[in-house]
Amino acid sequence: MTLQIELNGVNKFYGAFHALKDINLAIEEGTFVALVGPSGCGKSTLLRSLAGLEKISTGEMKIAGALMNNVPPRKRDVAMVFQSYALYPHMTVEENLTYSLRIRGVKKAEALKAAADVAATTGLTHLMKRYPRELSGGQRQRVAMSRAIIRHPKAFLFDEPLSNLDAALRVHMRKEIRALHDRLHATSVYVTHDQIEAMTMADHVVVMRDGVIEQQGRPLDLYDRPANRFVAGFIGSPAMNFIPAIVGEDGMHAVLDLGATRARLALAAPLAAGVAVTVGIRPEHIRIVASGEGAFDVPVGFVESTGSATYVTSATRPELTVVETGRPDIASGERVGLAIEPTQLHLFDADTGKRLEVARAAGVMRFAPRAAAHPAAATFSPS
Amino acid sequence: MSDQMRNRLMLAVALVLAAIYLFPLYWMYITALKTGSAMFATPPKFLPSEPQWSIYAHVWESRNMGRYLWNSLVIALGAVSLIAVLGVGCAYVLARYRSVWVDIGLFLILMLQVLPASLMVTPIFVGFSQFGLLDTPRLAVILAIAAKSMPFFVVLVRATFMSVPMELEEAALVDGNSRFGAFFNIVLPLARNGILVSAILIFMQAFGEFVYSKSMIQAVELQPASVGLNSFMGPNTNEWNNIMAYATIYVTPVLAVFILLQRRIVSGLTSGALK
Repeated sequence: MTLQIELNGVNKFYGAFHALKDINLAIEEGTFVALVGPSGCGKSTLLRSLAGLEKISTGEMKIAGALMNNVPPRKRDVAMVFQSYALYPHMTVEENLTYSLRIRGVKKAEALKAAADVAATTGLTHLMKRYPRELSGGQRQRVAMSRAIIRHPKAFLFDEPLSNLDAALRVHMRKEIRALHDRLHATSVYVTHDQIEAMTMADHVVVMRDGVIEQQGRPLDLYDRPANRFVAGFIGSPAMNFIPAIVGEDGMHAVLDLGATRARLALAAPLAAGVAVTVGIRPEHIRIVASGEGAFDVPVGFVESTGSATYVTSATRPELTVVETGRPDIASGERVGLAIEPTQLHLFDADTGKRLEVARAAGVMRFAPRAAAHPAAATFSPS
Repeated sequence: MSDQMRNRLMLAVALVLAAIYLFPLYWMYITALKTGSAMFATPPKFLPSEPQWSIYAHVWESRNMGRYLWNSLVIALGAVSLIAVLGVGCAYVLARYRSVWVDIGLFLILMLQVLPASLMVTPIFVGFSQFGLLDTPRLAVILAIAAKSMPFFVVLVRATFMSVPMELEEAALVDGNSRFGAFFNIVLPLARNGILVSAILIFMQAFGEFVYSKSMIQAVELQPASVGLNSFMGPNTNEWNNIMAYATIYVTPVLAVFILLQRRIVSGLTSGALK
């Protein structure tokens, strides 16, 4: 595998605004990379820089080994799918598809054949003579994709291509784009603000915030071991629960602060006494048990059911969200116990938000035993 | 019921206003067809009793209108071509770049639009005579009209360009085109309607232009129809029917074009001419 896209120390300034801060990224040929983050995080700027539509201020950008810093878009041999699709409104579907080939001086018969081939794979054959305004949103999306495919570019750049589609079509196109990527073995860079799109489609996820890469890696690695509180909160839906806590005087336990409720949590590895930490627990790693049988009890705030899953939110500060499969018989105002998977806790520095690594003995966190504990419960003792 | 009444009332008011506004035009058309005595009859007749259709051929011949209209056409087409070639590029730049300097430029352009031709004509005349441009007076008038009407064109066409999404151009760049290629292949075709409409408006303005032509073109054989019409009228003129026939021949083609294209002109000016 060779590196298809390389960014070394890339910075981008708009006047005084620092849009991209020291970006380092190496993308291997054939990888599907998702750039994900909240709006304004610089992901679109990074993508546009790759396309050559923005000029980077400092650093090095290589595509297929060649330095691209000052190369205009037309010589980069990348294809881009825009959020608005950017189909040429005065050209038919066929003309839209063959436009890039015609510019390159490909013979008309050849270009038409290439368009027909691509259209056959994307199901556009019967729409070739239509104008973009006569197409539905999904069909326009396909035309935009086909226009990119027809060129066999070095890389595909996607700028939130699914955000204008309705929910059902979005889920469908997600699979289609991924299938397309697998078939073409192309290198793809996909910008989205939707972490589910990033998680489900990408081989490699890059999480950005304020122009900085917060973390990058395989989707499930990011999910299982987020490098900081931001990534932990951004990846996963519903979002991870965060509870402020203080390390106890023996350095071997943390005291969770849930407003009226306090709970002691033993640590597997010692931390400095009195240090403020944030404990992260994913909603699906908490289970609801009878009052007194879990790690601690909380009053129930809201109960929302989607049919297949039930979201229970506690009336504590901060709120804790629990996802239960099925339809547990819980009502608002009731007190319930929470059983917490001991191996699934995340600890973050309260000030910097950075992940605190806890030594794992044989992959399992050790917690002090407690009488009559639920087998799956992390063991807490009320302080 | 009251809604219906109101609509009828509004319609009546509109019709009355339109009648007042269009009355001179109507008077021009019927006077041209009247005989000398019918013209001065009191009370005046609103329909000519014996229309003189032969008057058009007579006026066309005697006033040498073919030459005048040809000069008008040359001046109008020259001015429109010059404005279109220079103004399209200018409007595009003003549409795509945002900076303080662009704002200042736009302000200056609008200022130019405010100055009336009768005020500008003296300095322009002096300047042109220094450059020897008055030896080619039609070219001088074309230049003067271009300077006068350019702001109007630039402001209209800029709005058209702004309605063409930037992403289309970017898509063309990524697809392998240059800045120029993207402009000619993508932006220009999409802005075509707006540009055409603006050009037609400029053409109609230039076709009827009088102040510059009157002051700069001394030779009769180079004068446009507007100046020809003016020279038709002396202090003791009484052949109003001939003058009205001249005006009819001059104005009717322009009116016809405007009426034919009216729908497109209105939609072109309001919708930004996209789609």
